[in-house]
Amino acid sequence: MDQTSRLLLVLGVITLASILGLIWRTMQGRAKLLKSGLQVDLKELGATKDGLPVTEFGERITFLQFSSEFCATCKSTARVFGELENHSSDVLHIEVDITNRLDLANKYNILQTPTTLVLDRRGVVQSRIGGAPKQNTLEEQLGTFVI
Amino acid sequence: MAKPQIDPRGPRFGAAITATALAVTIYLGLDASTEAAAFALLLVLTGLFAIGAIFGTSKHPYAWLFKTLVRPRLGAPTELEDAAPPQFAQAVGLFVAGVGVVLHLAGVEYGLVAAAAAAFVASFLNSVFNYCLGCQMYLGLKRLKVIR
Repeated sequence: MDQTSRLLLVLGVITLASILGLIWRTMQGRAKLLKSGLQVDLKELGATKDGLPVTEFGERITFLQFSSEFCATCKSTARVFGELENHSSDVLHIEVDITNRLDLANKYNILQTPTTLVLDRRGVVQSRIGGAPKQNTLEEQLGTFVI
Repeated sequence: MAKPQIDPRGPRFGAAITATALAVTIYLGLDASTEAAAFALLLVLTGLFAIGAIFGTSKHPYAWLFKTLVRPRLGAPTELEDAAPPQFAQAVGLFVAGVGVVLHLAGVEYGLVAAAAAAFVASFLNSVFNYCLGCQMYLGLKRLKVIR
């Protein structure tokens, strides 16, 4: 194969990877509305917070974050939600490691981590955020739940 | 027990070198006269992926390069990350590069180039977009029972 064709093919692969990356970055961290009306079962989740089991949802909004073992962005995502939680008393953040909880991964159809489900005060799923949430996604979500 | 922590910029620096080497591999692999060189390069990359996958990215030669040449110029990182996710990515890289080696040895035309291109896309996304293979693939592979 001549040199020009080879260079063009390599450039083509680089271009393809760049387009994929841009699409991926755009899609990540956006909230998708869910109309399933799925009620989250706290007992089944088995979530703990500061060593104690979580028994109540946030008074206004709950961010239920699913994490896994090989997830680099889960930690920073948890920190962002933690700050939100500290900022307002009616916001709750729950993090569940589903590395060994495939039942939960199947039930909530989790493919990537972090995936965050946004729950209303009764624990009904309102939307889901795949990947690290974008700043405006969080503001939108919090705005939706202003009482 | 605290999980081992690393500077998250280290693996991204390493992925940039890997992506560049894979681009060269694709270029060399496309012509019969340089195919042997492409294969040799892919073998080296497969070996490097194996080091990262088995011993962790902190034992990888690129980590040493990063520590001695790059990090002193960057200053301290704002946050640290778990060492496990990049190690998972190295294992995926090892698998894909290994497939390329096998395809080449089996005489499959452009098998080497196809594998190098797949590995290139992953390491390019990792380096440029901070794409995390472990976040995207681990759970899916587990649900499909590809890994336990």
